[in-house]
Amino acid sequence: MDTPTLVLAIYALIAVVVLAATVLSKSHRIMNTLAVGLSASYITLTLYALLSVDLPAYGLVSNYFLIDHLSIYEILIAAILFLFAAVYAREYVESSIETNEMNRSNLKLFYVAFNLLLITIVYAFLADSLALFWILAELTTAFSAVLIVTLNAPKNIVATLKYIFITSTCMLFAFIGLILIFTLTQNNLGVGTLNWSILMTIANTLSPAIMFAAFIFTFVGFAAKSGIVPFHAWLPSAHSKAPAPVSAILSGAITSVGIYGIIRIYAVASQTSELPKISWFLVSFGLLSMAVAALSMLNQVNLKKLIGYSTVENMGFLLVGLGLGTTTAIFWMLFYILAHAFTKASLFFSAGILHHQFQSVRLARIKNAFKLQPFASWGLIVGVTAMTGVPLFAIFLPKFSLLIESAVVSPVLLLGLLVIFLLVAAAFGIFMVRLFSHSEKAYDSDLKPFRAGWNMKIPIVVLIAVVFILGVVFPEQLTDFLNAIVLELGVK
Amino acid sequence: MIIAPTENILQILVVLVLATAAIIITKRDIRSLIKTYALQSLLLAVMALVLFVVTGSLTLLCLAAIILVSKVWIIPLFMGQVYKKLNIKRDTQFHFLSPITALFVSIFIILFVYLSFSTLLSELSRFNPNLFFLGATVGVSILFMGMIVIFSRKQTLTNIVGYLTMENGVVLFSLSLTELPLLIEFLIILDLIMLTLIATILAFGIDSTIEEFHAQLNPFAYSKDGKSQKTLEDER
Repeated sequence: MDTPTLVLAIYALIAVVVLAATVLSKSHRIMNTLAVGLSASYITLTLYALLSVDLPAYGLVSNYFLIDHLSIYEILIAAILFLFAAVYAREYVESSIETNEMNRSNLKLFYVAFNLLLITIVYAFLADSLALFWILAELTTAFSAVLIVTLNAPKNIVATLKYIFITSTCMLFAFIGLILIFTLTQNNLGVGTLNWSILMTIANTLSPAIMFAAFIFTFVGFAAKSGIVPFHAWLPSAHSKAPAPVSAILSGAITSVGIYGIIRIYAVASQTSELPKISWFLVSFGLLSMAVAALSMLNQVNLKKLIGYSTVENMGFLLVGLGLGTTTAIFWMLFYILAHAFTKASLFFSAGILHHQFQSVRLARIKNAFKLQPFASWGLIVGVTAMTGVPLFAIFLPKFSLLIESAVVSPVLLLGLLVIFLLVAAAFGIFMVRLFSHSEKAYDSDLKPFRAGWNMKIPIVVLIAVVFILGVVFPEQLTDFLNAIVLELGVK
Repeated sequence: MIIAPTENILQILVVLVLATAAIIITKRDIRSLIKTYALQSLLLAVMALVLFVVTGSLTLLCLAAIILVSKVWIIPLFMGQVYKKLNIKRDTQFHFLSPITALFVSIFIILFVYLSFSTLLSELSRFNPNLFFLGATVGVSILFMGMIVIFSRKQTLTNIVGYLTMENGVVLFSLSLTELPLLIEFLIILDLIMLTLIATILAFGIDSTIEEFHAQLNPFAYSKDGKSQKTLEDER
């Protein structure tokens, strides 16, 4: 076996061992340690693959898998998120059981789905065949739906059903797109293929009109997965009803699966002469998502929904970045995926502590937050500051650079983006003021402070620290790495 | 190349599939919705069989068998059981569109799909062009019609039938366009997983008791202690 195949096999081996051990284990502590171990070992293995595999390696295991810079990048982001979420979940889930939000009998289901979700996400990022990617992406919906519904509330059931219906429905459109691509290649090559690496080599010989149609169909599916307007209706409710560690994963990793699919198809479709149309298509959907999300944020009374809509806004911004399509734009857009995922996770983790304190994340229920939960309150404030793109945080650089790129295309686009950013910042600001200002008048003295232990605090501190460090120093290795991705995507 | 009588049979089958989709859009009785879905799947299986007889491709035979087992037999049976458990007879509530309007909208959708495909797909053809266009157009139209069912109905069971109809549309589309090695089979199996998941969540709510969930299914119902569902939710 050569190294790439070996790496793929070890991913599977770890997965089987951890899953079996989770099924057999009896205590929460062991299950949680296994989940932490799974993500930690995946991070290590991915780093090993980065150093030892001659990248990019295409057509592995009879053309089903690939390992390239983009997949390694996305896997690392997802696995790191899962690591923090797993560390955080130990106490979060335990408290949820104590407050009767979750049944202890669902614990095993939760951890099995948690681990399966990471495994499917990793293999989705490693899929060379777009059909395999489609299947795995659809499975991530199933497993994440299980994670949302493990909580004891009818509202979770409704949110989950909405999530499954919207994403699966739209993913069927993506399947039509894949069939179109397959037929197109069959027409050109004689043998149909859905392998991304092969598609990239023959992309400029494919019929632009059909490729554009296929792009639109696949876009609908993957846009629904990443919560792009008008397919976003599931996202705020699912994010707000899910347990906080799951919200962080949904926002950082599941939406990334959708964006990743769009990036892959874009890389193929952008080789055809329809590139200008595709760019405008992406920019307009991006702007639409950002505008709708920003307006929905303004009047929000639910903290986690606010953060969920912010995810919609950020996904829209990623589309704008992709639509701009220059090497610089794609470079910063890729970095933005990482910056957004980490910042957003820290926000959800802080919101999770508040949730356990007040049994709700609605404005009306959160009172005296600063006195009861000073750590989470500060976490929230710093996280929101980072999220709005204040300098010295990781989101600032990509945001600023993409704005400059947009100004080159059209000043109107720049103006639109600036107005939306202003609205978003205002929405966050208004919410924070309302959240922390009515402390004194309605002080509930019976409320005991919820003691969040180090498992819940360390992930927030580390994530914010990472976001801060990445905002101050931009490592040279990361620059080279992102440039390698841009090169592999064939961006001109 | 497909000879004339077979082509006629296939065309009739495609039109019948479209008719079943129209029935699914308008029917209110859930049991007959499930039966119509089974009939639609049966038509697809027959189509795959006819194509197998013409082309001799084993993939098609395999597909026909999978459709027969899962879509004609297991899924309707399973849906029937969930239906009994939930004890809801008819789905009479509609969002946005009444069945008649929905039917008119679908006619426009079919026209739209036909027009856009006749320019787009002229470069590709495997079979006799007429059949090819008809199948592809009806397939994508059914996809949209299933979506209308999902968005215009309130009952989750009806939504599931809508989703399954959409999936039949994909199968029809791929049957007329090309032979996807193993792909469609995967799609169907994946569908079974999703369906089981939805139905389990729906029927048993994983944790919430059946009563609690019935109150949820019917937002205007009152719970045992006389509180409306809304107040219950506010308390939560």
